[in-house]
Amino acid sequence: MPPDGSARPGVASKRTGPLGAPPATTAQAQGTAQPQAAFQTRGALYKFRRFLIRTGPAYLFILPAVSAMLLVHYIPMAGGILVAFKDINLFTVSRWYDAPWVGFANFVQGLDPGGFLGGRFWRALWNVSFFGAVTITAGYVIGMAVALLLNREFPGRTLVRGIILLPYITPDSVAYSVWRFIFQARIGLVNMWLMKLGIIDEPVIWLVGSNAIYAVMLAAIWKGWPFAALVLQAGLQTIPRELYESAMIDGASRWQRFRYITLPMLAPVTRILILVSILWNYNAFNQFYVMLGKDPGPAADVPSTLILRETFNTFNFGVGSAMSVVLMGVMLVLTMVYLRALRAAERGQA
Amino acid sequence: MPTAVLERRPPGRSGKRNIVGWIWFGLALAAVLTVVLVPYGWMVSGSFKSSVELQAADVTRPGQEPSWIPREPTLDNYRNVNRTVRILDYLRNSLIISTGTMVLATTLALLAAYALSRWAFPGRNAYVVSVLSTQMLPGILFLIPYFILFTWLRNQFGIQLRDTYVGMIITYTSFALPFSIVMLRSFLDSIPVELDEQAQIDGASRLRILFSVLLPLARPGIVSVAIYCFIMGWNEVLFASVLTGTSTRTVAVGLLEYITAHEARWTMMMAASIIVSVPVLVLFSFLQRYVISGLVSGAVKG
Repeated sequence: MPPDGSARPGVASKRTGPLGAPPATTAQAQGTAQPQAAFQTRGALYKFRRFLIRTGPAYLFILPAVSAMLLVHYIPMAGGILVAFKDINLFTVSRWYDAPWVGFANFVQGLDPGGFLGGRFWRALWNVSFFGAVTITAGYVIGMAVALLLNREFPGRTLVRGIILLPYITPDSVAYSVWRFIFQARIGLVNMWLMKLGIIDEPVIWLVGSNAIYAVMLAAIWKGWPFAALVLQAGLQTIPRELYESAMIDGASRWQRFRYITLPMLAPVTRILILVSILWNYNAFNQFYVMLGKDPGPAADVPSTLILRETFNTFNFGVGSAMSVVLMGVMLVLTMVYLRALRAAERGQA
Repeated sequence: MPTAVLERRPPGRSGKRNIVGWIWFGLALAAVLTVVLVPYGWMVSGSFKSSVELQAADVTRPGQEPSWIPREPTLDNYRNVNRTVRILDYLRNSLIISTGTMVLATTLALLAAYALSRWAFPGRNAYVVSVLSTQMLPGILFLIPYFILFTWLRNQFGIQLRDTYVGMIITYTSFALPFSIVMLRSFLDSIPVELDEQAQIDGASRLRILFSVLLPLARPGIVSVAIYCFIMGWNEVLFASVLTGTSTRTVAVGLLEYITAHEARWTMMMAASIIVSVPVLVLFSFLQRYVISGLVSGAVKG
């Protein structure tokens, strides 16, 4: 009695599979010779073998990806957390394992709101949260408006869709360099227009000081909304047309159709979109680094730029790691709060 | 009441309102397209201006404002694009690193996605969760240990990873992998298992099934993942700013060298920006259909 005579794909491969071939034939040969005995005495081993034959190849296939991620994700992450508890500078960096343990000193230095660095860190965390709140909201609203606008047939639709994706696919450093050019005080487009409209009398310095974060916001919204529009467009296409038709028969206004059909039907897509946007936002780096340089100043500093400076200009690896561990913690907490709030909202609806 | 229905429907479809509706639609569309295209227009116009013209420009002096049409259009910025900043070398570096990342990451992701899609093995869910969770970790958290690790490997074992193509390809592959695995898995899941079984009956090995049966069917997914990996490598700034050096600097960070503390070469930077964008835009428009469906399904599911 061949115990694994089923037709499931993992088993069917036993004759041909690269790994499965030899053990399968031996097991089968012995199984036919003395079926009962083989099955009973070698039960555990047999089961293990069968498991190897069936699912072994799966492990072989994920092995390269797992080892790559182990090497470049999990081990460095563990290393990063360890380093946060060590005093590592330029001189001890090549013998990092010998560097002295300092307990939570790095965290204290990096997080103490009264200290210089800690103050900058909390300010940076606030800046990036404010930045995200504005850019994600604006990006979602604009993305939704454009997705609704394009959700009809018209000549040249494909071309228009391609054009509105341009900001999304343009490399970050190119897009933000152009915006940096546009925001230049003396030769920039923004000041030129504002002067012509009579809104300002003399050029505004956009990229230094307290205006900087708003300039970056505008550029980031310009770059970010096409992605929201893209995702929402795909979501819109999944809404059955009949829903709108029956609502129209019932006399629902355009706003009511949007409020009670479109929005609820887009809720699943929206959830993922917002979650992903929030997480990406806390990693925000490119827009600030390209438009404002290594040190955007306290009013526009974000955690990534601050940590980068502290680590690779001051060579304070321990403090940099401590701050990035805290950043990771903030992101984890936010994700959990967001997911929990969603679940609560779903329960409330049901 | 059918009459009531008929009464309510026509107003939205009557000819007059239809025309007004289309006019509004056209205006809105024009506004959207303008907002999208203005920065590109400014970039192109800037790239044809002479640096003298730009230096003389001043928004405060009427008649001297920067103009949309270059007063004396010139190709000098394109001709001299490589003179102050070695942008062509950076272009080559980016091409090598991005292509390497694309090949390596797509291959590894394909194998892993195949296993996730076709086997229910112990640890599968844990693995998927860990793949997804790496996506939400801050990049900067990895950068510091990378730097320490690379420095340590060089000093202890003489293995040079910093400022090498191999080091950058490994780094970028790791960042492209999670999203690629999730995306490819959803593509493979959509291919019926019966096809695998047929091929198995015909005596095909596991690898053979993957490459001869699934690969052609999953081509849209594979293409979009490959493009995603390439663009990721092309655009990345944070790691490139620390881990690349003179011999591997990529365009994403090299582009910033046009602006120094002493001199702002905006016109050349705009010309270089156009050159740098071309490979990405060409790749994307070439494969727009694949990439959009891939990105959307990845984003919506992942």
